[in-house]
Amino acid sequence: MTVNEFIERIREILELEDAQLNIETNLRDLQEFDSLAVLSIIALVDEKFGKQIPATQFATITTIRSLIEKIGWEHFE
Amino acid sequence: MNNPFCLCNKNIIITGASSGIGRQCAISCSQMGANVILIARNQDRLRETYNRLEAGNHLFYSQDITKYNDLESFISDSVSKVGKISGFVHAAGVERTLPFRMMKPEYYEDLFSINVIAGFEIARIISNKIYLDASGASFVFIASVRGILGQIGNVGYCSSKGALLSGMRAIALELINKKARVNCISPGIIETDMTKKLFENIPESSKEEILKMHPMGFGKPEDVANACIFLLSDAARWVTGTNLIVDGGYSAR
Repeated sequence: MTVNEFIERIREILELEDAQLNIETNLRDLQEFDSLAVLSIIALVDEKFGKQIPATQFATITTIRSLIEKIGWEHFE
Repeated sequence: MNNPFCLCNKNIIITGASSGIGRQCAISCSQMGANVILIARNQDRLRETYNRLEAGNHLFYSQDITKYNDLESFISDSVSKVGKISGFVHAAGVERTLPFRMMKPEYYEDLFSINVIAGFEIARIISNKIYLDASGASFVFIASVRGILGQIGNVGYCSSKGALLSGMRAIALELINKKARVNCISPGIIETDMTKKLFENIPESSKEEILKMHPMGFGKPEDVANACIFLLSDAARWVTGTNLIVDGGYSAR
């Protein structure tokens, strides 16, 4: 999966239509980023990368970049 | 005086016996005098449960209960070894924490096959008179308060446990003429490996919220096992088609 495809999946999960979403976007600034969104993103990461991020560790994630770093750049094309 | 809760001379099949509620039900039933027939996928953990049983004529089978065509062979094998079946506890269960919008048909299928269909299949096979103790039998399905009350991120688990509750009532009515009683136990959150995993997948704030909903705190596997002993024993002779809620007050509010 490329970074852009990953960002696109996050956009789908958060149901963002027009908002600009890029690697520096701070997820916590988005109104749509609630506890259900956290669960959804954890599930997405598990499904696509086979990586389990405990919800407790998710607290440190801010930008999409920080999420990608948590997953590991080596998982991206 | 005879102990009405005694499980002496009863052969009881228990699924999910390798951990959590299933394991404790197996240990507690053996302590009450039952012969238990354990089934679960993980052989090492199953053996660990087996080693913790009180002495008795116990058996264990390591197999996947969703391979429905293989279920009859372990039941007929155990009947040939220990005699007819007078109890069944379906404690095998899986859960998946996922928002409704992220669910997929195959996730529901996985949850329903273990939580519901395998349990109903084993009960169906046991209810054949060649396997069932003609003097009376008791089937217990471990459901959940989440089969009655909703919980965010739990649609698959909630719906599978709800299916157990409603199916149980229909089965109870059908098996009355075979002297088999059929009931559910609906636990609140019990401290097991499964709930530990659940808590890893939800934010800390949600965990605190769930704890607040249990006025007596979280339960222990023994709390469910003791309820199970009651339903399996002759003390529950006149109890069928019911759901025994064991939740430390969770659903009282």
